[in-house]
Amino acid sequence: MWFFTSGAFWFAEGIVFVLAITGLKVWMEDRNTPFGLWKCLLASLWMLMLGFTIAFIGTSVGENEIVAAKKGGIIFSVICFITGVVVWRLLRIGRVKIAPGDEDEEV
Amino acid sequence: MDRRQFLKAIGGGSAVAGSTGLWFFGTEAGRSPDSYTGMKNREGGYQTFDRKKWAVSNPTYDKVGPTSRADGRTDVIFARMGYLRRYDKEKGLDSFPPHVRDYYTKHPEDLELDITVRREIHQKRAEDVKKYRNEFILSKAWSSAMGAVGPRGVNGPPEEWDFPRGGASTPYKMKDPRQTSRLIKKVSHQCGSTLVGIAELNPDWVYKYPMNGGRGFKANEPIEVPEHWKYAIVVGVPMSWDPMYANPPYGTSNDAYSLSRIVAYRLTAFIKSLGYAARPHTPGASYDLMVPPILVDAGIGEQGRHSIVITPELGCNFRPSIVTTNIPMEADKPIDIGVQDFCKTCKICAEQCPSGAISKGEKETIRGYERYALHSSKCSNFWSSKLGNMGCRLCVAVCPYTRKANWLHKAALNVTMHDPTGLSDHALAGMQELLYPGQEPQKYYMPSMGGENASYRPVPWWLKTEDFIDLPDPEEPTTRSSE
Repeated sequence: MWFFTSGAFWFAEGIVFVLAITGLKVWMEDRNTPFGLWKCLLASLWMLMLGFTIAFIGTSVGENEIVAAKKGGIIFSVICFITGVVVWRLLRIGRVKIAPGDEDEEV
Repeated sequence: MDRRQFLKAIGGGSAVAGSTGLWFFGTEAGRSPDSYTGMKNREGGYQTFDRKKWAVSNPTYDKVGPTSRADGRTDVIFARMGYLRRYDKEKGLDSFPPHVRDYYTKHPEDLELDITVRREIHQKRAEDVKKYRNEFILSKAWSSAMGAVGPRGVNGPPEEWDFPRGGASTPYKMKDPRQTSRLIKKVSHQCGSTLVGIAELNPDWVYKYPMNGGRGFKANEPIEVPEHWKYAIVVGVPMSWDPMYANPPYGTSNDAYSLSRIVAYRLTAFIKSLGYAARPHTPGASYDLMVPPILVDAGIGEQGRHSIVITPELGCNFRPSIVTTNIPMEADKPIDIGVQDFCKTCKICAEQCPSGAISKGEKETIRGYERYALHSSKCSNFWSSKLGNMGCRLCVAVCPYTRKANWLHKAALNVTMHDPTGLSDHALAGMQELLYPGQEPQKYYMPSMGGENASYRPVPWWLKTEDFIDLPDPEEPTTRSSE
């Protein structure tokens, strides 16, 4: 059993996942955007999708299935990008305008 | 840096670290030796699928009418080939004994394929072998090594050979059939088997006539199914994964054939040592019965479109043997993991098969049972034409179930098993074609037949002859055994 396919890796991966979501929550709140449970779940789902894409490409490369890595990588990356844009817009819902001239403003 | 800035920095760093970790997880999962299922199996650690959860009362083939047993002399291509050298063009069908004549009268297309086409192919092959033999020096040497060890064959009739000391032994009284099944399975794994299952033997699967009059049977005398062939123990081991993907030319069946035989003969010796009857039926062609339906009965897997049995652990990358015996055991139940529905949708094996031997249509009634037809003459003509190691095995390599045991392919298997709608079958078969494409079927042929000696996947590094050997002039006469 190697590290990256061991239980220890998934334990570490769980920790960094929680830290990443926590960091995102703080970052969003600092930008005056509330980050409740549903946003937390939405962001987690999208990160899982991104994680699947990375792991899929890695596994295909490891198996020497280069066509799968390329085609699958492109397909899943496009899906990730499109859903990422949608998720980003949903995450910005409820953002409060605090100063005039803030060009990022959105309600 | 305040607390919030610290959390943001840690969060960003974690996202990068997590993504990088998943990349390394993927590459490791893809090349991990643990994904080469069955390459270390003595403790039974690879028969991991929970078959009881998927057990069904009836096998996944349908009995649709009166049944009959296969004729080992003519229905089996290996046996039929034995008669071909008797063929005289002048005499036509009269060259053959009556049962072969009957067969070819009913199957005129097979006569053309078995005789005329085969002769043409062999002439072309002889020329191509001279030109291209260098490519296959290492793979042929490896195949030869894998087939170098094997037990002596069965050479007596069941009423004598199967029993310890010719029937003079008194068997030990086994305490409980269920416990005996457990014991037999454990010993099978210890003997080297990756998969093992037990079925009550359905006499329909025993040949009506023996394949070639060997194994203690007299030619042209029907086989009376012996009473002591009560159970069939099925064992199976995989072919080496990377060369298997490099079929048709670079893989071999010899590695799994050899180990499968050894397991069966070891198990036979174990059962006989307990005083019971046992008889191994082993590859390449040492059988008194048809193997695939017995695998289905024993819950090892389901028979696919390509006629090979598909298992949850190995897909169809395995070679089975069977031991018929009378040691009292509890039989396993067949399983239904959705292969019938999947094969209905997925026709990849049929589309990839260069010979067109695998049916793209619906199931047919064969000797009273419904299954997909396989045209064995077409299949045999291709695999005996191609260069490299004997056999083809391309349908094994391209089957979507034949994938190494990593998270990705296990997840796909679980999706198709759990989806009652069948929608995932379409999606997964489509993804298989898109992401894991094969070659144009014509490319699998040898050059003189318009092909390129292509393989499904590239040859593994350790079978690339040119990287290890100074290649001899292919036109130079040689007596090397690998040719």
